[in-house]
Amino acid sequence: MRAISLELYKLRHKRLLLMITLFMLVEIAWAFMAASMSISRNPNSAEWEVLIAMLSSMNGLFLPILTAICVSRICDMEHKGNTWKLLLTFSVKRSTLYAAKYISASIIMLAACLLQVLAITVFGFINGFKQPVPLILMIRFLTGTVLANMVIIALQQWVSMAVKNQAFALSLGMIGGFIGLAADLFPAGVRRVFVWSYYTGLSPITQSYANEKIQFIVRDMSSLLPGIVVLIAAGIAIYLAGCVHVSRQEV
Amino acid sequence: MLRRCISAEWMKLRHSRIWMILMILPVISVLIGSANFYMNQGVLKKEWYSLWSQVGLFYGEFFFPILIAICCAYMWRLEHNNKNWNMIMTAPVSATNIFLAKLIVVGVLMFFVQLFFLALYFIGGKLAGITSDLPVELTGWLLRGWIAAITISTMQLALSMRIRSFAAPIGIALCAVFIGLGMYITHLGLFFPHSLLTMGMGVLSQTSLSAGESILFAIINMFYIAVISTGAIYRMRKSDVAA
Repeated sequence: MRAISLELYKLRHKRLLLMITLFMLVEIAWAFMAASMSISRNPNSAEWEVLIAMLSSMNGLFLPILTAICVSRICDMEHKGNTWKLLLTFSVKRSTLYAAKYISASIIMLAACLLQVLAITVFGFINGFKQPVPLILMIRFLTGTVLANMVIIALQQWVSMAVKNQAFALSLGMIGGFIGLAADLFPAGVRRVFVWSYYTGLSPITQSYANEKIQFIVRDMSSLLPGIVVLIAAGIAIYLAGCVHVSRQEV
Repeated sequence: MLRRCISAEWMKLRHSRIWMILMILPVISVLIGSANFYMNQGVLKKEWYSLWSQVGLFYGEFFFPILIAICCAYMWRLEHNNKNWNMIMTAPVSATNIFLAKLIVVGVLMFFVQLFFLALYFIGGKLAGITSDLPVELTGWLLRGWIAAITISTMQLALSMRIRSFAAPIGIALCAVFIGLGMYITHLGLFFPHSLLTMGMGVLSQTSLSAGESILFAIINMFYIAVISTGAIYRMRKSDVAA
C-alpha cells in the first residue's frame, strides 16, 4: 500500500493525468463526431449502442498507445534518474516494487476508462437520448476495456523495465495500436492471439454490415466468457513472466 | 564544425539498435497494406495506385509520423540523461550546430527509411502479382514525403528538446496526426506539418499537386523548418538548462 502511494507521489509533478485527459479528449471527440454522424444518418438506430461501439473501436487504436506512454513514463523515471539501485537498497522485494508500479499504472488507466464512461453519459444527456442510461452495457464496456488494459499494462511494463531504451516499448505500443485498430479485419483465430484485439473483442456491442447498413448488435454475456478467461490467463502469465524476468536482471 | 557535430551524433547512435525500429515499422505497414490489397483485389483495380493507397494509408498517415517522433525523442534522450545537458552546452560548439546536426542526422535516417519503404512497396507489389510499370508520380510522392518528414522532424526535435520525458512528445505526435487528418479533411492541409505529409505523399488522394501547389508546398515546408528551428535554437541559447 505504501509502495503504491509512493509511486503515485513520484508522479505528482509529471502532469501525467493532464496528458492522459487531453489524449482521451481527442479520442472522445473523434469517436463522438463519428457517432453523431452515424446517428443523424439513420435516426432510428439505438443511440447509446452507437456511442459505445464507436468508442470501443477507437479504444483499440488509442489505448494501447496511451498505455505504452503511461507505463513508459512510470518505468523510465527510474532508468532516467538512475534510481534503481537506490530503490533496491530499501528493504522491499523487487516483486513488491513491480506490483506497485503495475497497480499505479492500472489506477491511472482506470481513471481514463472512467472518463470515457462519464463522457458517454454526458454526451447522451446533452443530446437528449430517448432511452435511459444503459447501466448494464456501461458496466460491461468498462469491465472489458479495463481488463484488456490491464493485460497490456503487464506486457508494456515488462518491456519498459527490461529494455532501457524506451523506443522499443513505444514501438510495441504503436504496433499494438494498429493491431487493435485492424483487429476486426482479422479472422477469429488470429484475433484471439493478439491481446490488443480484445478492446473490440470484449465490447458489449458489435457492428455488422448487412445490406449496406451498419447494425449494432448487443452481444450475449455468455459468448464473451471464453475470451475473458483466456485474456485473464494471458494477463497473469505475462505479469508473472515479466516479474520473474525483471527481478532476476542485473541492475 | 557542423561536420564534427554530425559525426558526434552518428557516434551517439551506435549500438542503439534504433535501426531495428526504423525497419520494423515500415515492414508492418507494408505488410498490413499489401495484405489488405491482396484480399480486396476485386475492388482495388488500379494496380500500383491502389497498392499505394493501401500501403501509404498505414505508413504515411500513422506509422511514419510516429516513427519520426520516436527517432527525434531518441536523439535528445542522451542529452536528458546523466547531466549531459551541462556537457553539451559547455562543449565549444554553437547551439545552432547542435540542433542542425541532429536535424541533418534525422533527415538522413528518414531518407533511408523512405528508400527502404520504396523497396518494400516494390516487393509487395511484385508478390501481389502486379505486372505494369511503376507509377511515374512515385518519385514525387517519396521526395515530397521526405520534405514533409523533415518539417515534422523539426517540430518533434523542438518538442523533445523542451520536454524531458521520452514518451510525452510521442503522445503529442499522435494527437497531431489526428489534428492533421482533421485539417486535411477541412482543406486546410497546407497549413499543418502532419497534413503536409498526407498531401505530399499522396496518401488520400493520388492526383498530383499542380505546379502552383508544389511551390506553395515547398515554401510552407521551408517556412515551418526555418521558424521552428530558429525558435528552438534561440531557446537553447537563451534559457538555462536543467540537467
